[in-house]
Amino acid sequence: MVEYTLDTTFNALADPTRRDILRRVAAAELSVGRIAKKYDLTFAAVSKHLKVLEKASLIVKRRKGKEQLVSLAPQAFADASAYLDWYRQFWEQRLNALNIYLETSNKNGGE
Amino acid sequence: MTPKEVEFERIYDAPAEKVWQAWTDPSQLKQWWGPDNVTIPECEVDLRVGGRIYIVMEATEAMGEYAGTRWPMEAKITELEPNKKLVYEAKAWTEGDEDGTTIETVQELAFAEENAKTKMNLKATLNKVGSKAGMAVEGMKYGFSQQFDKLEKYLGREA
Repeated sequence: MVEYTLDTTFNALADPTRRDILRRVAAAELSVGRIAKKYDLTFAAVSKHLKVLEKASLIVKRRKGKEQLVSLAPQAFADASAYLDWYRQFWEQRLNALNIYLETSNKNGGE
Repeated sequence: MTPKEVEFERIYDAPAEKVWQAWTDPSQLKQWWGPDNVTIPECEVDLRVGGRIYIVMEATEAMGEYAGTRWPMEAKITELEPNKKLVYEAKAWTEGDEDGTTIETVQELAFAEENAKTKMNLKATLNKVGSKAGMAVEGMKYGFSQQFDKLEKYLGREA
């Protein structure tokens, strides 16, 4: 099992090409060659993106004959997503509290 | 919007000056900043560009095993326009495990007054998340199919 952190996950997700790759492999397991063909990028550049995704544990690769197949590894993604949900809720709560504060201090004539 | 940003828009029934003060006057800030079951033992705002914001949340007895845990946030103000705009770079952590728990964010606040109400926009960008910060959400587990639904939603969120 590769070690991953939310930080590496977020950084891996920060790039639109990498998010696009994830969308494709979420739908079906794909070979590295097929993924590379989808982009106007060199094979090396696509490989590099895949390496970043693999390091972040967002994808797994397996070998099948001569091909390398890539599929989604949902756990790291789920962790990042859960974290973001939590962070969002935290702010929701805080902004609601501000609303309550403003309403009460209005009623009390401010200050 | 990149996937590590959260953005909110709220309309508050108060003039911009009041909302601004609620954010920048420590005596007001400490009254609403913390969630339930925490106190704010320390709250400082040095309101100028380059100035420091320092707020500590402390868990009360009601938080059981967390009682006494302190969560400081330290920030540096990078942009300031009274009653209109406040931007700061913030670092927040759990006292005692700064390395593992630190999260770094940039928080951008914009205030716009209209008809005695204030529209407030908040954008928070997560720039660094400590390796153990994820423990905050432990216990939130997703079913496999839900995971994919969420993935779709998340990845679909493109600019």
